[in-house]
Amino acid sequence: MSAVTVRAAARGAPARRAWKEGALGLALVLPPLMVLVFLIVLPAITAILDTLTPDPTVRGFTPALYTQLLASRIVRSDIVFTVVVTLVSVAVTFALSYPLALYLRFARGRLPAVLAVLFTIPLFVPVVIASFAMITFLVNHGVISTIFYRLGVQRFPPLVYNATGIVLTEVWASLPFAVLILGAGLQAIDGALIDGARDVGAGPLRTFGSIILPLNVTPTMIALTLLFINVFGSFTIPYLVGGNAPQMLGVTMTNYLTQYLRRSEAVTLAVMAFVISAVVGAVYVVSVSRRERGAV
Amino acid sequence: MRPARPVRVGAAVLAILLAVLLAGAGRPGPAGAQQPVTLNLYISGDTNIFDLWQKGFIPAFSKRYPQYRVNFVGLMHGNGNDGIYDKLLAAKRAGRRTDVDLWETEPGYVTQGIPEGLWLKLSPRAVPNLAKVPKDVLEAAEYYGLPYRGSSVVIGYNSQFVKTPPKTFDDVVAWIKANPGKFTYCDPNTGGSGQAFVTAAIYRYVDPARYSGKPYDVKDEAAWEQGWKMLRDLQPAMYNNGFHPNGNVAVLQLLAQQNIYMASVWSDMGLDFYTRGQLPKSMRFTQITPPLIGDDARVTLPAGSAHIGGTLVLLNWLLTPEAQNMVINMVAGYPGIDWKYMPASVREKFKDVAKGFAPYPNPKYLADIKRLWHEKVVAAQ
Repeated sequence: MSAVTVRAAARGAPARRAWKEGALGLALVLPPLMVLVFLIVLPAITAILDTLTPDPTVRGFTPALYTQLLASRIVRSDIVFTVVVTLVSVAVTFALSYPLALYLRFARGRLPAVLAVLFTIPLFVPVVIASFAMITFLVNHGVISTIFYRLGVQRFPPLVYNATGIVLTEVWASLPFAVLILGAGLQAIDGALIDGARDVGAGPLRTFGSIILPLNVTPTMIALTLLFINVFGSFTIPYLVGGNAPQMLGVTMTNYLTQYLRRSEAVTLAVMAFVISAVVGAVYVVSVSRRERGAV
Repeated sequence: MRPARPVRVGAAVLAILLAVLLAGAGRPGPAGAQQPVTLNLYISGDTNIFDLWQKGFIPAFSKRYPQYRVNFVGLMHGNGNDGIYDKLLAAKRAGRRTDVDLWETEPGYVTQGIPEGLWLKLSPRAVPNLAKVPKDVLEAAEYYGLPYRGSSVVIGYNSQFVKTPPKTFDDVVAWIKANPGKFTYCDPNTGGSGQAFVTAAIYRYVDPARYSGKPYDVKDEAAWEQGWKMLRDLQPAMYNNGFHPNGNVAVLQLLAQQNIYMASVWSDMGLDFYTRGQLPKSMRFTQITPPLIGDDARVTLPAGSAHIGGTLVLLNWLLTPEAQNMVINMVAGYPGIDWKYMPASVREKFKDVAKGFAPYPNPKYLADIKRLWHEKVVAAQ
């Protein structure tokens, strides 16, 4: 072997290793990437194009399907209903889960440890079962109304088969998820900062306002956006616990597809739902990339 | 909405296959020398229909005809019907045989497949017992498909609270108005018993025949306005100020808990619940005049099936008293053969409900009825 080839081989080895690593990396990302492209991105694009060209014999795009659906009072009320129910569910979930997450982060002892296990239980209960449990619990002649009846309350607002029922069940189902995400954000706050604040005489409120809250904005935004998208797109809970009208978009879409035999309207509704989710999703992406850049 | 349980269904199919195989192995008999023929049945329906086939028909048929093995494929709530239709159509166009020997499905697919030549036309020559089936029932599907059982929507009422049972649709409406909060029907998107009440209100003012045939014209739907108005006016007198639960079963549960005293229910489901003791003892079922909608369940034989001979033997057996009694005892269905061939005790049991039924609107009108009900009845409140 001549000296020249030895040198060339020595130069080629790291390059080849780098290429191999690159190829391995690509091979590892390829399957999920293919799934993303072929099962999500491409179908979504064709779906959007389909809704803009309802009549294949006519060239060019037209928003006819959108204007026609939005002209229907019931579709408009379904969209508004979905957004309102989602916002209320997210607000209630957040109001309940944030104090719980704070408590679990900062309290010491056995009780928080037990609670930390207890609150995750809904994560392991299928939503179908949870929904039926809520119905049994909330329906007239159910547990809640019986208790109130015994206490002497005769007239009682219906708690199920309406927006109240959906919100209560959505909150029940998303609470553990919210606490876990918010808790993870709170765990990331350096304990030394809080101890330091305490050392210079800051009370609990001051510590919360000046240290915890500012450091926790991004995880909170992430939790809120994920909660929104989760509730917004839900089907099982509104289908089982909701009323006849207005309905949440998940149920409306399914009806258009399987009951009214109007596929293109169903897809158009899906695109509208996608746009609303995408706006909220943008907040998520911005929050995540802010954190990636180290802004916390 | 009930989730399908494919694993359990699969296990049940396997168990029955094994049972059939073992039964076959234990009985060499005259047919033992021949190679047994396997018939593939694709049956769509709910768990009660699966049980009828798996625990009733198939074991009895295999016992009587050991030369046939039966492979049961269950399509829960009709999931997969689309794929089977495409498969049959593709096989037909490619000129190939298909492994679907018998298919129980929604009438829409059968109608679609007739011009494509997908089905075998039945005749009393091929299936002798067909002579016992009422002619008009066979003609309704142009002799494609064997109507082996039927059911219709009827009015279920709790006789403890309803002293004079309704005889007509107007009687029902009058009772609802006089007893607010004690009647409901299911959301027509979620069950036939709800569709029956809604179509009854529409049929009250129009000729049903105009909407049950094949022609479809959106303009004809203007005639439904009076029906919508009647339903809208009834809303405040419905259970829970106008609540319609999801699914046929949810309505039966409201009757069971005595939250309501009257409802439109499927004859077979209602009688089945009653027999199992899941409804109050005082529950009764009656058909009104004009009757509510109903249908005959048909099994259809694909023309490209490789085992037409065997499947015809099965079809003929389905119309024997042995199989027809299973329809009555296991799912409280109406027999496929004429009532006069059934024992007097059976006729007595069904005398209040078995009065024929109104035709279903064609699938396109039905889809529009469901959408317009949502728009004009519940959302307009």
